[in-house]
Amino acid sequence: MIPDARTPVVVVTGFLGSGKTTLLNKLVSAKKESLVIVNEFGEVGVDHHLIDHSEERTVALPNGCLCCRLRGDLEETLIGAAMRRRRGDIAGFDRVLVETSGLADPGSVAQTLFADQALARDYKLGPVVTVVDAADVEGRRSSAEIARAQIAAADVVVLSKADRTRGLDGVQTEIHELNPSVRCIPAAFGEVDPAVLLETQTGNDKAFPAAAAHAGGIETFVLRFERPVPRALLERFIATLVGLRGADLLRVKGTVPLESGEHVLVQGVRHVFDRLRPVARGEPALVFITKQVRRNEIEALWHAMAGLVRE
Amino acid sequence: MMFLNMKLLAHHGLNGFGGMGEGMSMQLLRGGRRVLWLAHESAPKNFTAVDVTDPRAPKVVVQTDLPHAQMRSNSLEVAGDLMAVAYQVTRFGLKPAGFELFDVSEPERPRSISFFDASGPYSRGCHQLWFVDGATVHMACADPQLKPRDPKDDQVYRIVDVSDPAKPTAVGRWHLPGTMEGDDAPPPERLAPKFDAGFRAHNTNVYPERPERCYLGYLDGGMMVLDISERSRPKLVSRWSNSPPYNGFTHTVLPLFERGLLAVSDEAILDNGEDWPKLVWLLDARDERRLVSVSTLPAPPVDAFLRRGGRFGAHNLHENPPLPGAWRSESILLGTFFNAGVRAYDISDPYVPREIAYYVPDAPDGAPAGTVQLNDVFVDDRGIVFTVDRHAGGLYVLEMNI
Repeated sequence: MIPDARTPVVVVTGFLGSGKTTLLNKLVSAKKESLVIVNEFGEVGVDHHLIDHSEERTVALPNGCLCCRLRGDLEETLIGAAMRRRRGDIAGFDRVLVETSGLADPGSVAQTLFADQALARDYKLGPVVTVVDAADVEGRRSSAEIARAQIAAADVVVLSKADRTRGLDGVQTEIHELNPSVRCIPAAFGEVDPAVLLETQTGNDKAFPAAAAHAGGIETFVLRFERPVPRALLERFIATLVGLRGADLLRVKGTVPLESGEHVLVQGVRHVFDRLRPVARGEPALVFITKQVRRNEIEALWHAMAGLVRE
Repeated sequence: MMFLNMKLLAHHGLNGFGGMGEGMSMQLLRGGRRVLWLAHESAPKNFTAVDVTDPRAPKVVVQTDLPHAQMRSNSLEVAGDLMAVAYQVTRFGLKPAGFELFDVSEPERPRSISFFDASGPYSRGCHQLWFVDGATVHMACADPQLKPRDPKDDQVYRIVDVSDPAKPTAVGRWHLPGTMEGDDAPPPERLAPKFDAGFRAHNTNVYPERPERCYLGYLDGGMMVLDISERSRPKLVSRWSNSPPYNGFTHTVLPLFERGLLAVSDEAILDNGEDWPKLVWLLDARDERRLVSVSTLPAPPVDAFLRRGGRFGAHNLHENPPLPGAWRSESILLGTFFNAGVRAYDISDPYVPREIAYYVPDAPDGAPAGTVQLNDVFVDDRGIVFTVDRHAGGLYVLEMNI
């Protein structure tokens, strides 16, 4: 398999006050050779002053919410960092940690990485880490849409303030119902093994529970593949799906076996999907987290297209 | 330091003698012990052995001296418990010029077995040798029976039988026709004086996959594939050269047998990019008589390195030595590029090679050019990358994360 030499971009997201900065400080103290990009939302930038990391390896994007106004800045920062790394103008780094503002939909960072070919040469999406204040039930209810988007996008959920929370099992169940493949780690004071966060794969690596429907029309389900599929069919299926309901695909990810013998990683956020990339064998299934797109609709589309190809 | 997908595990200054040549060879001993043997670039030291069983804690186990300062060892190879060390002198006629064989079954106490004398009135001895089968030394070395028309052309390709290590016996040689007195061929057209480094042998690689072939770098003469099925009479199969218009000094020819490819490196020999471009070339060698250049490995940003100090450009490659303990790959190449460090390339698609990892150490203490000058690289079968600085930095031990 061709080695993937790109630098992973780890996204750390979560509500204001959920403990993102505490977690980020733990990560950078353990992994000093990280480039940290902090997104601040507000007139006075403060977050990057709270990051205990070298000035050279810390970049603040102070002009707004990363998900809606700063895509250009993030692209420029990442491309510029790769160029300056190659020239030796800045110290080397072997991962990027992007802290989004509390209100951001982290899926947009993934979209940026999938969509921009210049970026995709040097970077790949690393795990999306969502920090959830386990005790803050009210916060999740009052901003339910953003909370769901952040949990839907996550590969890892860190349940902060776990030591101060009753009913932790209930919170974990709530999260797994929304995102069945997510890894859930209770933590107090940001005490999480950095390796667990940074080395979690972005693909699916565990068995999936059955489909579930949630408040706000969020649907979570799995499309399984019983046999290897033609690459062209998979590509057309994704293109059709994006064309018809792209806006409602909060996150799609998983591994699909191809007839060529390869296994490919599929990852997408709304209208934007990464190109199919070879990976080691994984469970042959795609996890869908959607807004009002149901399992039977996706299955019907897949079976119709697969039937046409076979005939 | 600059890095991508490579991480420093350890650095050893080699007891203050950190100017290293282009001899790196790993010995596997009983009990899983690994010793890396290193040739020094210049006097006073001859060779150093480093225990790298734990790559995070390399330990020098022996370091030896040369007999005088008008010589260098530069190159060595270990096959089993036998080590061959090249000796090159600074002026014609000096001794010792040739190579020495050592029993290194006890790495702490290398024991000299024999010496192959190649000294003579037109000889600087041996610059480089290849010794992987325990029985034959292939080398770039002068032959006292030859008189070069130009003194820069003294070192030819020579084959020495060491199956009896106590009595090394010369069995064959080859030189570019026209370079020696008495040749029928006219002298070759030399490069411009600034770049005229000589028409002589450099790396002399022979692999068990094709024991009847020598893959020969021949400096300003380009590269040759030689038929050595009759060792007493090597014959030219094919030749490929990039110079002129490039600036000569073809160094290493690495065959990738399963791919039908050759990787051919130049060596940068002038400071501050005066001889740029010095590159690694990929050749389509499906037909060994018709070699076709298909790409070069992508260079790091040239303007950022060219005048950073010291040399910049290609030099040694990890040569897939057919020895236990060595890493072998036909899809990933590693090379040293002086002030641009050690670099790894994915050549799965030979038309579009990609850089996938690099490590450029900060300038070591005492670096004369103010930069590191990584000179040679060896990768072991654990994927540990060992690389050395030419002048001061000694040994760097790296982990490649790809």
